[in-house]
Amino acid sequence: MISDLVAPGMPVLVQGLTGRAGRAQSAQMRRYGTNIVAGVSPRAEGDVDGIAIYRTCAEAVGATGAQASVIIVPPLSVLDSIRDAAASGIRLIVAITEGMPIHDALKARVLVRQSGAIWIGASTPGLAIPGKIKLGFLPSVSLAPGSLGVMSKSGTLSYEVCHRLVSRGLGQSLWVGVGGDPVKGTRFADLLPFFHDDPETEALVVVGEIGGNEEEELAARIREAGFRKPVFALLAGKTAREGVTMGHAGALIQDTSGTIESKEAALRAAGAHVFSRIEELAAAVARSVASPAKPALRVG
Amino acid sequence: MMLLEHHAKGLLEGRAIPVPAGILATSADSSAPFLPAIVKAQVPTGGRGKSGGIVKVESNVELQEALRRLLSMQIKGHDVRAVRLEQPVEFLAESYISFAVHADSGCVLVMIAPQGGIDIEDPRMRGQIITRLADPSLIAVQSMIEEILVELPNSGRVQLCEAAHALAKCFFDYEALLLEINPVFILGDGRWAAGDVKFVIDENALPRQPAISAIIESNKTFYPEAALKLDQGFDFVVLDRAGDIGLVTTGAGLSMQLVDELTERGHRPYNFCDIRTGGFKGDPSRLVQVFRWIADGPAIRSVLMNFFAGMTDLGELAILLIAALEQVPELKRVPITARLIGNGLDEARAVIAAAGNPLAIETDLERAMDRATRNLEVAR
Repeated sequence: MISDLVAPGMPVLVQGLTGRAGRAQSAQMRRYGTNIVAGVSPRAEGDVDGIAIYRTCAEAVGATGAQASVIIVPPLSVLDSIRDAAASGIRLIVAITEGMPIHDALKARVLVRQSGAIWIGASTPGLAIPGKIKLGFLPSVSLAPGSLGVMSKSGTLSYEVCHRLVSRGLGQSLWVGVGGDPVKGTRFADLLPFFHDDPETEALVVVGEIGGNEEEELAARIREAGFRKPVFALLAGKTAREGVTMGHAGALIQDTSGTIESKEAALRAAGAHVFSRIEELAAAVARSVASPAKPALRVG
Repeated sequence: MMLLEHHAKGLLEGRAIPVPAGILATSADSSAPFLPAIVKAQVPTGGRGKSGGIVKVESNVELQEALRRLLSMQIKGHDVRAVRLEQPVEFLAESYISFAVHADSGCVLVMIAPQGGIDIEDPRMRGQIITRLADPSLIAVQSMIEEILVELPNSGRVQLCEAAHALAKCFFDYEALLLEINPVFILGDGRWAAGDVKFVIDENALPRQPAISAIIESNKTFYPEAALKLDQGFDFVVLDRAGDIGLVTTGAGLSMQLVDELTERGHRPYNFCDIRTGGFKGDPSRLVQVFRWIADGPAIRSVLMNFFAGMTDLGELAILLIAALEQVPELKRVPITARLIGNGLDEARAVIAAAGNPLAIETDLERAMDRATRNLEVAR
């Protein structure tokens, strides 16, 4: 269920709220309805825009009962922030910072696993239940309440995909960006259980790309779990040249899988519909899923 | 990003890892301080030996011949701009050691084989490699090395043990994504040496890896993309020198998808670009830079911009676009299509209209692609 991951109204703290980006992002999230109850900054005390600032997550959680954290700190400080959050009992950590070193991400995975928290990111635009709660900066123009579960690696590509779906009347039940880093807190397959029995989610939209093997792993999990809702996947990077990193660092480390062909084959074998053009994916989803404005045949 | 073998060996030497003596040569009339010598093409990819990029020369005549040939060849799409001239090593055996970040599990993949050599990719060879996942800490990897070494034959074990521990330390200290030594030369006198090195670095760690940053800074011609990111914080890659459509785009995934879709439509995108509007901070210089690079493309006949503005205000962006275009008049002869969507669209329209509409605005990406590719037809 989606509520196992994130719920409307849950108390949220922001690590790095006193920074320029932290302040701006927090204001945007509050405007969207996110219940931001505290900020954390090792140097600052007092408040920012009426939000109390604490030195550590433990202090902030003790005073406010915050359950989730959004991390907006410089790349080399993300690991320390995750350590602080994990130690405080925060159960959902969303790190939107880009450029976290990969060895730091390895260490952070160990930390969050030990604490039992869920870590989304790094380099993620965040997650949202449209109209209810936004952790991060998914653009409002691409968000609308609806019945699609969305998981994406690339921020911008998912904005475009969701924008086209929204303009066809198709919104999201939950949208989670896992980020484009190779080592990350939560991978596509880890998200499947939240959508599986969720009554709000009719179909899954997967925005994937070349590199790594999250798409292959997701395909295997879909088969193992007997996930029966329709799955629509877009895969970017068909023309990417070997050895050239195009923005995301994902492609270079493991060379055994990660090609578009391997992802496409795995997803198709799991019953997913796979597309290379955004427009074709959007059209196929629209044909298959009931839009709130115009009830149609229910599939799955 | 993979370092060239020569630079990787320099880094390892600095950490007291034994490597065969060698120098870098970039011109066809270079001479070797020793003969015979191994001439090794320096490109950031594996399989150099199989592609004919590694040869042994016995005389100056052979050396000149090899230099001429290697320095004009391409290996897997990479121009060979330099070779390493290396002193041959007498060895008893060749072994294999590698450490890699294993993204799926968040662990370190430790691989050791008593028999190394070129063909480690060969499935029959693969069976001889002992492969284990270790927790991502030096101490966990060290104890994994000890576990693996117990399974190996006695000959060369002492050297492999010393090599594996020294290399594991380098892997963590340099925050490598992959450090593979193939072969590890086991020498007759109880010593060992790193025969060949594959060293993949993490660009995100560069701010705290001064030795690696220094290599990139002083070798920008070898690492143009990494140097650009280090200096300027964005990505620009020329994909096809003869490409006719230039891209000014933001976001890695969407930019990559645009290249895919244009290619699928039968067009030839000139470049990939993730310009990161968040880094503009009111200054058009990054745009000016990208416009100049695109204007350099000999076949450019259409430019497509795509800005899906999450946080960026399009009105402010339009002011920068116009300012940058003023500084790169050579781009004005090319029709420019700008797909803009997000906050401040009306202001952007007004700014662009006031400048005499040097770019055509579209709000829908499909239509923008249609227009940009139609401009190619017209220009032809």
